[in-house]
Amino acid sequence: MFRRSHVALVAACAAFAACGSESASNDAAGGGNSSNAAEEGGGGGGGGEPIKIGFLSDCEGAFGSFFEPTASGANLALIKYAGAKPSGEKPTDGVTGATIAGKPVEIVGYGCADDTADKAIEETRRLMEQEDADILIGPLSGDEGIAVANYAKEHPDKTFVNGIAGAQDSTLKVQAPNFFRFHPDGAQWSAGLGDYAYNKLGWKKAAIIGDDYSFPYTSLAGFVAEYCAIGGQVTKRVWAPLGEEDYSSYISQIPKDVDGLYVGIGGSGLISFIKQYEEQRGRVDTERMLGNVFWDDPLVLKEVGKSLVGGVTSAMTAADSDSPDVAAYIQGLKDNYGDEIAGAGPSVFTYGYYTGMAALITALEAVGGDVADQSKLQAELAKVTLTGDKAPWGDVKLDSNRQAISNVFLKKIVEDTTGDGVPDVQTFAQVNDVDQTFNGAFSADTPAPDRENPKCEAGEAPPWVGQAEDVSFSK
Amino acid sequence: MNPAVSTKRIAWPALAVAVGLFAVAPLFVSDFFVSAILTKTLWLGIAAASLIFLAAYGGMVSLAQVGIYGIAGMAYANLVLADGGAGTAINPYLALVLALLIATLVGLGFGWIAARSEGIYFLMITLAFSVLVYYFFSQVTGLSGFGGINSVDLPGIVGSPEQDPLPRYLLTLVVATLVFLGLGALSRTAFGLGMQGVRDEPARMRALGFDVTLHRTLAFGIAAFVAGIAGVLSVFYNTRITPGSINLAQTIDVLIVAVIGGLYRLEGAWLGALTYALIDNYSREWVPEVGNVLGPARFNTLIGVLFLVIVLASPGGLIGIWDSLRAKVRTPRRTPAPTPVPQTTE
Repeated sequence: MFRRSHVALVAACAAFAACGSESASNDAAGGGNSSNAAEEGGGGGGGGEPIKIGFLSDCEGAFGSFFEPTASGANLALIKYAGAKPSGEKPTDGVTGATIAGKPVEIVGYGCADDTADKAIEETRRLMEQEDADILIGPLSGDEGIAVANYAKEHPDKTFVNGIAGAQDSTLKVQAPNFFRFHPDGAQWSAGLGDYAYNKLGWKKAAIIGDDYSFPYTSLAGFVAEYCAIGGQVTKRVWAPLGEEDYSSYISQIPKDVDGLYVGIGGSGLISFIKQYEEQRGRVDTERMLGNVFWDDPLVLKEVGKSLVGGVTSAMTAADSDSPDVAAYIQGLKDNYGDEIAGAGPSVFTYGYYTGMAALITALEAVGGDVADQSKLQAELAKVTLTGDKAPWGDVKLDSNRQAISNVFLKKIVEDTTGDGVPDVQTFAQVNDVDQTFNGAFSADTPAPDRENPKCEAGEAPPWVGQAEDVSFSK
Repeated sequence: MNPAVSTKRIAWPALAVAVGLFAVAPLFVSDFFVSAILTKTLWLGIAAASLIFLAAYGGMVSLAQVGIYGIAGMAYANLVLADGGAGTAINPYLALVLALLIATLVGLGFGWIAARSEGIYFLMITLAFSVLVYYFFSQVTGLSGFGGINSVDLPGIVGSPEQDPLPRYLLTLVVATLVFLGLGALSRTAFGLGMQGVRDEPARMRALGFDVTLHRTLAFGIAAFVAGIAGVLSVFYNTRITPGSINLAQTIDVLIVAVIGGLYRLEGAWLGALTYALIDNYSREWVPEVGNVLGPARFNTLIGVLFLVIVLASPGGLIGIWDSLRAKVRTPRRTPAPTPVPQTTE
C-alpha cells in the first residue's frame, strides 16, 4: 500500500516541482538583487551610517512584468535628486553614489513579491529586519498594500512609502501614522467619469462590470460614488472571476435597458471581453461604454483599440502631455535605461514609484538625512508637497491619512495619429484636487468597497463635479 | 512494508540535544534568525509532521493538511480581535481551543470521505479538499476579510513578537516537542499499530474484524488536529492570514518540506523545514545570476532541483540519507540487518 502511494506521490511531486519552477507555485521566490549589487559607492559625500532603503515590487505573478519599470521610477528619483548613477542596464542592478544631505544612501535590496499579501510581508520582513532598511518603498498591488500598511503599524520606528498599490483601505482604514501614499488610490483614478457619464453622455441608468477582486472593487467604487451622488442609478453589478477567458455568461447578464456600462476588467481579460462583447452585442458604442485605468493600456490599444476609439477613461497620468516636466521625466528614463523603459514612463506603475521616492528624498533633505529618530522624517513626509519636475503630471499633497490629493486626467481613445496603426490617447480634461473621501462617501467607517458596496445613493456631489477643466495637449 | 518506519522507543539523548540546541540558539543568533528561520522551521515542521504521521504510519499521503491548517488559522483570526474577517473579539485562548476543534471536526469529515480511497485517488481527493478550502476563503470575503485578516490579536503568553520574538519562539519549540513526542507515542499504542496494520494489509485487517475506514478516519482527525496547531502557530508567526497563505503553492511547499526531510520519520519534518527556511532566505545571497536560467529570483528552480536530487538519491529524504550512512557504519560487511533502525533525531 505504502509503496503504491509513494510512487503516486513522487509522480505528483515531480510534476509539481517541474511546474513550480516555472510560475505555478508562487511561493517564496527569490527577490531581485541582493544588497551587494545595489550597494552604494561610499562615503564620498561625507560618509557615516548610510540611509538604508528597501525596495519592494512584484517580479512574479500577474504584475511581474512591471518589476523593472517600477524600479526605474524609484531609481530615476535617486538619479535626479540624490546624484546616483545606475549600476547596470537593468534598473534592478541598482544605483551607486547616492547621497542626501551629505549622507550616503543605500538600496539594501530589490524585494520581489508576487501580488499576494503573504509574499509581500515575507519580503518586507527580509528587507526591514534582515537587511535592516530604515525605509521601505513599495509595494505594487492592492492586497499587498493593505498588508504592508498593517505591518507598518506594528513597526512605528520605520517609515513606509507606498509604491503603486491602489486599494483604498491601506490609507483610509489602516491609517498607520508611518505609511505614506503619494499617488491617488484606485477610486480616485476614476474621478470625473461619473460626472462625465451623467452630465455629458446623459446616462441616467448604468451597469458596471469588473473583475472580482479588491482593486476593481475600489476602482468601480469611485465611479459609483460619484455617479450616484449626482443622481445616476447603478442597476446591475456584474463580477467575473479574475483570469476569466470566457465572458459570454457575464455579458449576457448586462441589462439592455441601461444607458451605459462602466467597465473595470483589466489586462488580457479586457481584450477577451471586448471581442466577445462585439460578438454578442455588436460594435462597442463608446457613448454607452466607459472604462477604468486599464483602457488605455498599450497592450489593450494594440489588440482591440480600434473597437474602443471614442471611448473615455481616466487616471493620474496622460501619455500625450506636452509639459516640459513630463518631457524631462521621460528623457531621464530614456537616458538611463533606454527606450523600452521610457515607453513605460507614463504608466502609473513607473510614476507611482517615482513620486514616492521623490517625496522621500525631499523629506530626507529636510531632516538632514537623520533616520535615527524617524518621527522627524515622518513629520516632514506628511508636510511634503510635490511640485514641478518632482510631480510632472501635477502637484501632490497629502491629507490627514497621509493619502495623496492630486489631479486626474480624462482621456479619449482616438484614431491613430502617429502612423503605427495603434490608436492613440488624447487628454481632454483635468479634474483637480481629487481626494480620497469623495466628499464623505468614503470614510474609515464606511464599508470597504466590495461586490455590493458602496451602495448607490444620491447625496452631496464631490467638489470636482462640474469643475473639470478642459485641457488640450498639442501632440 | 516499510522497514524504515520506526516503532521503537524514542532516542531521548538525541532529542534532548536537538531541543537543547534550539533552546540556546537565541543566545547566538539575531532576532531575525530566531523569527524567520527557527520559529518558521518549528511551525512549518509541525504542518509537515501531520503529513508524515499519516504517510508513514497510515500510508496516506495527504495534500489536505494545508487546507486544514488554513481552516484553523482562519477560524482563530476570525474569532479574536483583528482587522478584517468576522472579528468577534473573543478571548484568544478560547479562540485557540475553538479553532483546533473546528479544524479537527472538518478533518474528521474530510478523512471520512477520503478514507475509502487509496494511492493516487487519495492524493487527488485530499488535494481537492485543499483547493476547496482556498476557494472558499477567496470567495467568502466576510470570513477572509478584504485583503486578508490583519493585525490578529495574540494570546498574552506570546507577548508582542515585534518587540521580543523570544516568547513566541519558545512556545513554538515546546509545542513542536510535544507534537513530536505525542505522535511518536501514539504510533506505539494499539491504535498506532492498528494504523500500520491497515497501511500494510488492509484486507487482512478487515478480515480480522477491524473497521479500516473508521481507523483511517480517526487517524486523519488526529493529523488534522496537529495541522490545526500549525495553522494557529502560523497566524502567531505572521500575525495575519489571507487566502494566499493557504493556496496551492503552500500545499506543495508543505509536501516538499516533508519529502525533503524524509517521509518515513517524524524528525524529517523539522529537518525538511529547516532546510527549506534556510534556502528560502539565503539562496538569493549566494545564487549567482546565470542569464535567465539561474539567479536570485529562481528559488523555485533551486528547490525543485534539490527536491529531485533528494528523491533520487534517497527516497527517505535527508533523514533517509543519515539512516543509511549510520547503517553502513554500524554493520560493516555483515549480512544486512532486517530492520536497521537508528535512533537519532538529527
